Amino acid sequence: MVHVYNCHPFAAQRIVSAEQEPGLVCCGGGALFVVSAGGCKIEAFDLQREESPVICRFSCAGTVLSLQHSAVGDYLVTIEEKNNATYLRAYTNWRYQAVEKTRVGVRLLGHLLRGSSFRGAPKEQMEIIEIPLFEPPLCVACCSLTGDLLVGSAKSLVVFSLKRQTLSEQLSVLDFERVLILHIQGWSPSQVAFCAGYLALQTELEVLVIKLVQQQKSAQTAEENALLPVDIMVETSLEDDAEMKKDGFSPLHEQEDFFVFPKHQEMLGSEAQHCGITLVPECTAMDSESRGETTVVYVLFRRFAPDFFQGCSVEETRLHSLQLHPIFTGKQEESSISRCGDPDCMFVFFSLPNTGYMYSLKSSVELVSTYQYPEKAHQAVLSDQFLYVITRNALQCFTVRCSAVAARVQDPYIDTTMKACPPFSMEVCALRIQLFIGLKVLCQDGDHIVLLTAADVDSKENTERPARKNTEWREHRALTGILLAVGLDATSAPTLESLLSKSFLSRKSSVCKSTEAPDSAHGWNLYVISSVSTLQLYREIVEYSKRYEQSNPCSQSCVHLLSEAHLLLRSALLKLQNGPAEEKQELLEAFQESCAHLGDCFSRFDKKDCHLALPYYKMSGLTVTDVIQRNVSMSGVSSGYGRGFIFFLKHSLYEETVEELSKDVADKVLEIFSVAEPAQLPHVVCCSSMLNADPDGAGALLEQLEASGAPSITLALCRASLALRTGDRHTYSQQMERHAEMLQVYGFIEEPRLLLHGRGVGLMPTLLAQQLRDSQDGLLVAALVALHENSRISLEDAHLFFQELCKDRLEPDSSPQLLVDFWESLLVASSRESTIQELLFRLVSVYISRITCSHPSGCKALKTADDLINSCSHYGMLYPWVSILTPNLYHDQQEDLLKLQSLLCGPTLQVSSILPLLEPLSDSDDPGLSVHVLCSTKLGQHEDSIHRLLDRCPQAIIPYAQHQLHHHTLCLWWQKLFPEVCDRIRKTGNDNTILLSALKETLIVAARELTPLEFLDLLPDDGTAHFFLPHLLECCQ
Amino acid sequence: MSSKSSLLKVILLGDGGVGKSSLMNRYVTNKFDAHLFHTIGVEFLNKDLEVDGRTVTLQIWDTAGQERFRSLRTPFYRGSDCCLLTFSVDDSQSFHNLVNWKKEFIYYADVKEPESFPFVVLGNKLDVSERQVSSEEAQEWCMESGGYPYFETSAKDATNVAVAFEEAVRRVLSLEDRHEHLIPTDTVNLHRKPRSATQCC
Repeated sequence: MVHVYNCHPFAAQRIVSAEQEPGLVCCGGGALFVVSAGGCKIEAFDLQREESPVICRFSCAGTVLSLQHSAVGDYLVTIEEKNNATYLRAYTNWRYQAVEKTRVGVRLLGHLLRGSSFRGAPKEQMEIIEIPLFEPPLCVACCSLTGDLLVGSAKSLVVFSLKRQTLSEQLSVLDFERVLILHIQGWSPSQVAFCAGYLALQTELEVLVIKLVQQQKSAQTAEENALLPVDIMVETSLEDDAEMKKDGFSPLHEQEDFFVFPKHQEMLGSEAQHCGITLVPECTAMDSESRGETTVVYVLFRRFAPDFFQGCSVEETRLHSLQLHPIFTGKQEESSISRCGDPDCMFVFFSLPNTGYMYSLKSSVELVSTYQYPEKAHQAVLSDQFLYVITRNALQCFTVRCSAVAARVQDPYIDTTMKACPPFSMEVCALRIQLFIGLKVLCQDGDHIVLLTAADVDSKENTERPARKNTEWREHRALTGILLAVGLDATSAPTLESLLSKSFLSRKSSVCKSTEAPDSAHGWNLYVISSVSTLQLYREIVEYSKRYEQSNPCSQSCVHLLSEAHLLLRSALLKLQNGPAEEKQELLEAFQESCAHLGDCFSRFDKKDCHLALPYYKMSGLTVTDVIQRNVSMSGVSSGYGRGFIFFLKHSLYEETVEELSKDVADKVLEIFSVAEPAQLPHVVCCSSMLNADPDGAGALLEQLEASGAPSITLALCRASLALRTGDRHTYSQQMERHAEMLQVYGFIEEPRLLLHGRGVGLMPTLLAQQLRDSQDGLLVAALVALHENSRISLEDAHLFFQELCKDRLEPDSSPQLLVDFWESLLVASSRESTIQELLFRLVSVYISRITCSHPSGCKALKTADDLINSCSHYGMLYPWVSILTPNLYHDQQEDLLKLQSLLCGPTLQVSSILPLLEPLSDSDDPGLSVHVLCSTKLGQHEDSIHRLLDRCPQAIIPYAQHQLHHHTLCLWWQKLFPEVCDRIRKTGNDNTILLSALKETLIVAARELTPLEFLDLLPDDGTAHFFLPHLLECCQ
Repeated sequence: MSSKSSLLKVILLGDGGVGKSSLMNRYVTNKFDAHLFHTIGVEFLNKDLEVDGRTVTLQIWDTAGQERFRSLRTPFYRGSDCCLLTFSVDDSQSFHNLVNWKKEFIYYADVKEPESFPFVVLGNKLDVSERQVSSEEAQEWCMESGGYPYFETSAKDATNVAVAFEEAVRRVLSLEDRHEHLIPTDTVNLHRKPRSATQCC
């Protein structure tokens, strides 16, 4: 469906006073070029000025068959014919041709006159560059970004790059270099387009888009191929082709043996390489070595088939108006300024008589828009903001989706709750259908459209004859081509031949009839139509939309029009990236306004897309208060509030990005929710922006809600928190006592804002949280653990929360006890490995700092070491020797020491990760010693532990050895412990009972584990027999 | 009148300094500058004129006569409708070189039938008193070479300039008329089988 509106995108029309009847027309660079019907003279008019005065007139060197202007280099390129030869020529410096009787310079491409002549007196004269070609040129296109040329011939396409040769400081001249030839077999385009490496090629029924990619020669492939002679490589590639054909990939014109009806085909992306059209690149640039290899990447192939059974001929199905259209989004700042970087978006447009197609070619290749014309279109031109189409009697202005595609490339936040943009799949519409009689040619440059009308085509037989001959010939060729393709040779089948000629005969006779009509003297006109400014058109469309809105506030047409207006502004902003700041500011204001309009529209919606109200309002720059007021006043007109508005309000409040609402507005919000979605009330009440709402009123609403049977836990907590605000202790306790703490935790999970407001830096504990800190710290910690485990709060945010909550408590420590309680509880609850390691680190750090710090914290922890050991596997049972090291003497730090020791005895803590934390902890006292020995033991450094224990606490050595030295460390008993103990006894004398009993224990183990011989070896030479003998006996038994 | 004939490309060839640019300037702008620069490469000027009731655009291509500019000028001989071979009557060498100019033109212009191609010979600088080439000598060469019309001109005092160019136009037009007249008899219809041949036996 095509929406047709009656807006006014065209501001004014004026008539250009061309001397002779125009034949070809083209525009560019603010100028209009008209080739007189005779074909040899070009008049240039200034489009930028009122009345479009003539800039200059000049003659061409032949009859112009095709004409293009390149904005880069400001040159014209023509295909000309003279005495049956075709030429390709570029007209440079044409603006100097103001005086008609000035000599025109002519030179061949590459022949720069570097010599004396220019040095003396720079000649400001028009210069024609003749571009020699192997084959006659059929079609030509200029790249709008580089000024490079693409020329299509029967068997090849040639790319010329534009060069600017600086001859002196004041003077530089243009030249071209032939850089690339693409050889094509059996397929020659009738129209080409060229932009930023993209080539679009069009025959009567097919379109192929490819991209040229420069590849730095990879050493590897060069080496691989170096072993093969060149002709073999060519052969294999030919064979590949042949195989491909057998597989049926090749198009109809390759399969002359088969009876194949041409069918519609669409091949996107790399799939298009199976279209059967081979392009072989041959680099001819001077610096081809440094350029690397050029490869052809297939982007798109599309084939259309005339519906023969419906009586459609090729003539009626022929493609036209091929165009490539780049868009810069300004994402890459530099490239957009110079405009020579890669464009961010690329579109290709082509048109059948009744339908136009626009594809997006970058990132993903896809069909963006299909244009259904109300009648047969002669020609179409795509611009940034519109598609202009001419039919026989009307100029039509369609909207385009380029800016919708570009917006998504530019901004990844589009299509999220942050930002929105109308989808590019949104149906296009005709903004205006303007009647003109006898439209022939259309072209566009900037804000101007140029139209050529001619009252009666057929009356001007003379001038039209060559053109018509041409079409007849082409038609004949096309028809014969199709017949050939379906396996019929027209010349060999007389019936078909007569059919072919008959169809032309009938055409001819109709032409003859009309020639009898009398010829009018001046049946043509050349119009320049200027466009209105984007802002003006935007305002008109907004006004227009209001008419739909009045009849139906949820009208799709209203949204559609507003979306179109929005896209117009987007494309204007894209165009104006580096434009004047003032104009940009105006557009930005209009853009915000348009977002607000769209927000209003979607906020009224009840079903589809109502969620879009949120991003549009966000982009509009309106405050939530503004939005509420707009919607409250709108709801007066219609009934109730739209779902979109409620969605917006809910998200804005819950995202906590909203300003603090005034009492009136906050009360209004409560009222809105009590009507629209009462179940949300508890959540709304808890929002930080709603603090100014009347607590009594809110309480009353909650009471009503509860009476209607809503789940009560969160509700009760809400009411308690409201009661705190009013200082109503009684209601507070009443509400808090209604549910068990366990259930209340669930309530907090459902509504975390009961406890904390804001996120990140601005995180604030609520009044209720402060109350709980003082009265129910266990519940508070449990709630926070639950929030963390349900991903409602991060470890960092919880840290901030507790620090904020306890900042006025006198705790010397940097980590308040409540935070440590939280960590311990979370460690018990959590099963996430990363969280656990993080918590262990934090806790170890806290324990160590508390053990080192001589001042007791004075705060009682929620959980004792025993609690933790009993409830959590990370806290291990203390090793027996640890208790000997640190008997229960150190009351102050006892709990923290026990917890640390227990963690070290547990299975989870990775000692290596906490080593840096141990530095401040001295091992001069027993607690310190116990921690250090535990660590080295855990790290497997038993010898070190044995030394330390023997030195500092020998009574613990045997429990240590019994607990730690097993399996592969068992040998340490005799290899390390035994000699050490002996050594110490020797030094201290035989009366050290602790050491002696340790020696005995060691001997028992050794006697049990070693062979008698080994045991004998072990015994010291100076040992007393009666001491060792019993053990030796033991060993022998 | 077909669109093709409305633009006539006439090319001026001849040694450097014989006055090709001056002839063109005199004809198109009716001015004369004794101290013109050497022409470099190729330039052209247009003039609309009516000859025997037909309006044509005459496109006069002026070339650099000096040898060193040969590569710059020869590519543009193609497509010429008429060639004006120019010498200076006070320079016999420039006259003797005409034969070379003609050869160069025929070679590079890729003329199919050199015998019938319209050349016009101009002996310029008639105003100079010391002639080195006599009128008879020149006319004789023109007759021998193919019956080319010969004009003695002076760009300085405008003698015969317009007449010479108009003659060039006339030559082209008459040739074209002949060609157009020839077309129907010249064309063989390949689609129709020669039915008479079968009947003959």
